[in-house]
Amino acid sequence: MKHDPAAHAPAGAPERDAPELSLSEIAALSWRAIRGAGRSWGEAEEGAQAACWLARAGLDWAGMLLEVLDLPGDSAACPLRAGLRLADGAALPDGVARVGVTLPGVRCPAFILPFAAQAAARTGQALRLVWQGADVTVPPAAAPVLQGQMMPRGAVAVTIGADTAAAGPGASGGWPVRHRATVTAAQYARLNALMIAFTVPASAASLAGAGAAGDDND
Amino acid sequence: MSCEGRNPMPRAAAFRRSPAEVMRLSRMGCSHPTRLSFLRQLLRRMQQERWRFDRPVWQMDARGVGRAVYRAIGPARSYSLVAFAHDLPAQARSDRVIATAWDATFALFDGTPDAQDLDRLAANVPLQEAGRITPRELSLSRANRSVRLFDHVVERLSRGLQPDAAMLQDTGYLMRTTAVYGAGKFGAADRAAIAPRPELRAPFQAEMLSVWLTRAFTVDLVEHLARARGGDRAVRLDPALKRGLGVGNSTGLGMAPFVIRHPVLLNNWMLAREEALARVRAQDSAGAAECDGLLAALQGAAVNAQLWTSAHPVQQAKLADLRDGLSRVIAHVSGAWDRGAAHPWDSLWRWGQAQLPLEAQEALLAAMLEPHGALIDGLAECMDADEDAVFAIDGAMRIGDLRAILQDRYDWALGVDYGARDQCARFWYVSEDKLEPRLGERFDEPGAGCELPLDTGRQAAALWAALAGRPDDQPVAHLLLAHPEHRPALRRAQITARHPFAEIRDNLIAADMLPIDLLRCKLAFFGATRFDPRSDRWVRISLFQGAPYPEDMGGAGHEA
Repeated sequence: MKHDPAAHAPAGAPERDAPELSLSEIAALSWRAIRGAGRSWGEAEEGAQAACWLARAGLDWAGMLLEVLDLPGDSAACPLRAGLRLADGAALPDGVARVGVTLPGVRCPAFILPFAAQAAARTGQALRLVWQGADVTVPPAAAPVLQGQMMPRGAVAVTIGADTAAAGPGASGGWPVRHRATVTAAQYARLNALMIAFTVPASAASLAGAGAAGDDND
Repeated sequence: MSCEGRNPMPRAAAFRRSPAEVMRLSRMGCSHPTRLSFLRQLLRRMQQERWRFDRPVWQMDARGVGRAVYRAIGPARSYSLVAFAHDLPAQARSDRVIATAWDATFALFDGTPDAQDLDRLAANVPLQEAGRITPRELSLSRANRSVRLFDHVVERLSRGLQPDAAMLQDTGYLMRTTAVYGAGKFGAADRAAIAPRPELRAPFQAEMLSVWLTRAFTVDLVEHLARARGGDRAVRLDPALKRGLGVGNSTGLGMAPFVIRHPVLLNNWMLAREEALARVRAQDSAGAAECDGLLAALQGAAVNAQLWTSAHPVQQAKLADLRDGLSRVIAHVSGAWDRGAAHPWDSLWRWGQAQLPLEAQEALLAAMLEPHGALIDGLAECMDADEDAVFAIDGAMRIGDLRAILQDRYDWALGVDYGARDQCARFWYVSEDKLEPRLGERFDEPGAGCELPLDTGRQAAALWAALAGRPDDQPVAHLLLAHPEHRPALRRAQITARHPFAEIRDNLIAADMLPIDLLRCKLAFFGATRFDPRSDRWVRISLFQGAPYPEDMGGAGHEA
């Protein structure tokens, strides 16, 4: 079957300039697009969760995800990989809440924020992330406090450590009630193309096995 | 949420079945609906809260083309099924997801739609996946006529006659839905946006409400067409015949991966049902009302099993098992069962385990739960899940602990030779044409390079192999640094450690795996009856057969 991008869910989305997607659409699209970009399923699961976190925080989740996926998977500048290390190691003796760290050259540093949130939730310790032109506090189980440039050009050094000045959990207030986020038509088209890269076209065998054995006009 | 943290009946623990027994596809594929099923939860709530129902819009022409609105009015909020009826040529009628036109299309609207909402929905809902809905909508669905029965009913009613009862029983529904989308799909409201509402917290309540109102629409439509054709001669459908009609559903592989991709949810469904069984088995005595209720449930199941037919050889064998097993249970309950002995329900259950095939054992489970509403209905509160809360991997877990989890919960997976053709014969993937999950034959079809991570057993075994030689006290974060490819299996293992019913304990890519077993389990939790496979991956079922209609809900005597 000839590929028709307009036939793909969410089909209505690409028609408008800044369509709105539900969080579950963002998760499904991101999960498949990350895998389609050649990353592992583990990165796809985490990256999709991160995309939803960024969307709920009101950030440009699609722009950030696409910037991440433009990087080679093994790049030291990849914030998804850096984020996973941060979250996985959060409760270890050398975890970021106890021992601060500076990552020398990271692209799209805001993509680390959802993973910093995981680390904050696990340790109960607010984290502060600073890069040139930005200063962010990520409290445990609460919305982040964002200041400055969330999408700097090029790689930047990111300093991460405990935010001992931050008040207790919830100091930033609850998350805004937001279950949807926008995506531009261009972003949507790129994510959709990545997603399609990890699908399988219909074959004679797959068509033969689908549906009921018989007619549906009964 | 899970009820693990609060167990008001600790003595039931001794009567619980083990996950190793319950979480096998052979048994899951024999699941029956119970009073904890989601459609039963919906009907109970609406009755207890005295919901009201009306039909504020009915604009239908003589061909049955037009629109209708069915409204359910609860104590805090209202929901409206917006229905569009179409004139579909026979050659366009297909139940498959690739279809582009249907006999009727629906959306469940949050509140009462105004004229503008209806126009917006009219421009989108008939297009289904190719349209776009909004957070004001909670579900999107479509249905096709069961052509022969639908035409027969219209024809008979139009002549002032009732339809043939045997024909009605044989099919069981006037229309079958071919997809019911919810939870944020195609722009609908996200699950997280509506889950805080008590009436929508249990799984799939919006979808169930949509299907139940669709059932009323199907009957109204045949009566409308009969009037249009027969005028004053036409009669309405006899209430008893009407009661026996449900809504059919035709579904394929698309819904199968759901129970694999949502392990905590699956755990909570299973745990609630298993806790219910354990509570009943733990009872010291069997009261007269409960014994009568059991017998009535068994007899009802036996009648249903007679009416339940299937052309599929696997299901035919199961139906023979079920009919034979139910007649033996009824004989045992009416005769040899000593209801005065200690723990009589447990002795009945043990008798069933020793005497009955799986199909009848699981039917006995459903019947044993039936007369124990007061004891078990509260467990319905425990069948949703906060999946975000358990998502994060605990990187500080020690390798030794992970090893112990794999040995304890994945022993079924670790000894399998996944290099053997029959153990890796299948692969799950997403189709390009409709972005739907599919199952391919690894050695016969292209596309295995795009395999979905639903090979849970093989992944667990690979994780187990990767642990070899690693010290017990090493944190798993170190393993993930070196081997990020094991991340999904590690997450599942950590989830399964805390949620014992989270993992299906079978090789989901084996040559002999039957996808219909996954479908049967999920559909039974919905409350589906008359499970009728049309192939090893395609099935028709019925929902709400025998249930009250909106106009019946005000009266007593229709316990859900």
